[in-house]
Amino acid sequence: MLLIIGFIGFPIALSLALTLGFTGGLNQIIALIGQGIRPADHWWGTMAGYQALFSDPRFNGDLQQTIIVTVVSTIVVLVLSLAIALIVRLHRGRIAQLLGAIIVVPMFVPVVISAWAIHTFYGGDGFVRSVAALLGLQAPTLTSTMWAVIIGSVWTSLPFASLLVTSGMQSIPDALIDAARDAGAPMSRIVRTIMLPLASTQLIIATTFTSIGILGSFTIPYFLGSNQPTMLGVEISNFLNAYNRPQQAVAMAFVIFVFAAGIAIAYVRANLRGSATEARA
Amino acid sequence: MNARRALREIGIGALAIALMAFILGPILWLGAHAFATSWTFPRLSADGWTTHWWHEVFADSALAGAIRTSLLITPVVVLISAVICLPAAYAIGRHSFPGRRLFLIGMFAANAFPKIGLFASLAALFYAMNLMGTVIGIVIVQLLGTIVFMTWIPASAFAAVPRSLEEAARDAGASRLTVFRTITLRLAMPSILVAVIMSFLASFDEAQGSYLVGAPNIYTMPTEMYALVENYPIQVAAVFSILLSVPSVILIGLARQHIIGGRLAEGFQIR
Repeated sequence: MLLIIGFIGFPIALSLALTLGFTGGLNQIIALIGQGIRPADHWWGTMAGYQALFSDPRFNGDLQQTIIVTVVSTIVVLVLSLAIALIVRLHRGRIAQLLGAIIVVPMFVPVVISAWAIHTFYGGDGFVRSVAALLGLQAPTLTSTMWAVIIGSVWTSLPFASLLVTSGMQSIPDALIDAARDAGAPMSRIVRTIMLPLASTQLIIATTFTSIGILGSFTIPYFLGSNQPTMLGVEISNFLNAYNRPQQAVAMAFVIFVFAAGIAIAYVRANLRGSATEARA
Repeated sequence: MNARRALREIGIGALAIALMAFILGPILWLGAHAFATSWTFPRLSADGWTTHWWHEVFADSALAGAIRTSLLITPVVVLISAVICLPAAYAIGRHSFPGRRLFLIGMFAANAFPKIGLFASLAALFYAMNLMGTVIGIVIVQLLGTIVFMTWIPASAFAAVPRSLEEAARDAGASRLTVFRTITLRLAMPSILVAVIMSFLASFDEAQGSYLVGAPNIYTMPTEMYALVENYPIQVAAVFSILLSVPSVILIGLARQHIIGGRLAEGFQIR
């Protein structure tokens, strides 16, 4: 266990030190190679690295896009996975079975390939534009826009979220639903007042994992997004490799981390509340 | 009422079909390219069909090498991950010790830290330790992605094994080891299997970190894919994509029931 803590915690602590301008010790080599490093000027370091970042219009554009993509994709994923879960739970026909089986397919597919498959599907000479052209329409090329990134993020996140939500819905006893139906409640009301609250833990887990995953994603925006502005995951790698500015790269990682941590706190709270009610029962 | 019902059926069917098309479309489209001689926009079918590109991939030493490297590194990563994480998972699942919850939350927080940022700082560490461009470096990087799966999912499974069963076996005279082997481990096995598969996929698909650490010395299949997309015809990338998906398809196919059966969902709750 110490090893686990060592290999994740230690580099994070080290890089926090770098963003605050401490350039000694194990950070020495990267500080020597890197450019635009702002060294520490107080005992606790310096905020100059972060200040430079937030006054950079390019970074702000990236941050904005990252947040938009994350929020939109997460909402779409949630709505779709709820729809899927409800179809699988309530419908139970052959088509629902088929849907349940097919929805997990993206999980089988490595992310690099998903990104590339979506690129060829929605790209300049892809399927969508081919169909449109045959119908005599001019469809837009979605790749290299934010929309392709959203499509890609939804595509890759959907199986995990819908598995979670579906398993939450499946654990609701039939008796509850039947009783409400016998009492004359319409389906929409049953869904709203019985099924959604009972599956809320799974919904929260799905939301957290989806949004955190998209927030820090790299491969999907790298293949599908525009060059500028792009998502922060790609920009971190640009700053690290292409521009050789490790301090800014790592500082961006911490900005993402702050957002992700906010989501994580909500998640942990929901979990603790869940186990507290269970303990009482 | 019947008309409304029929309308709803059609609506659900249409939604289901649209979703399936959304999921399968890109894969089938790319898959078809693996067998195409060439493709003229805006036709919906290839100009001709061939298996030429498959021969090309297997004959290319760089591509075949990447396949070998991947098949070699991934099992090692999963094995090391199991050896390190499963005892930890057992401890977390069965014992309550000070800092246990803190450890779980800390691990979750670490998982929320963007991977690429972690790799950036890891690279600094690796430069200092001379691990850049080595197999060990790649193994460590891929190990990081498996830890969450390998600890959390088995931990909740170990916690779910009923104590009364173990105590009954002990009372009947079974040794500690026998109890662990035949009851605890066996009941937790499906979840461990899910964890192993998720770890395998996480390691096998890991591209960013392996690229940062391995390139230009060592290429795994996903990192080779970055180069492929830019330098080779689309058909080669399509063939390579299919090859890359094979292990995942086989593995998830084997454990599909357990994953869909909710073990994955159960595993992600902090208790």
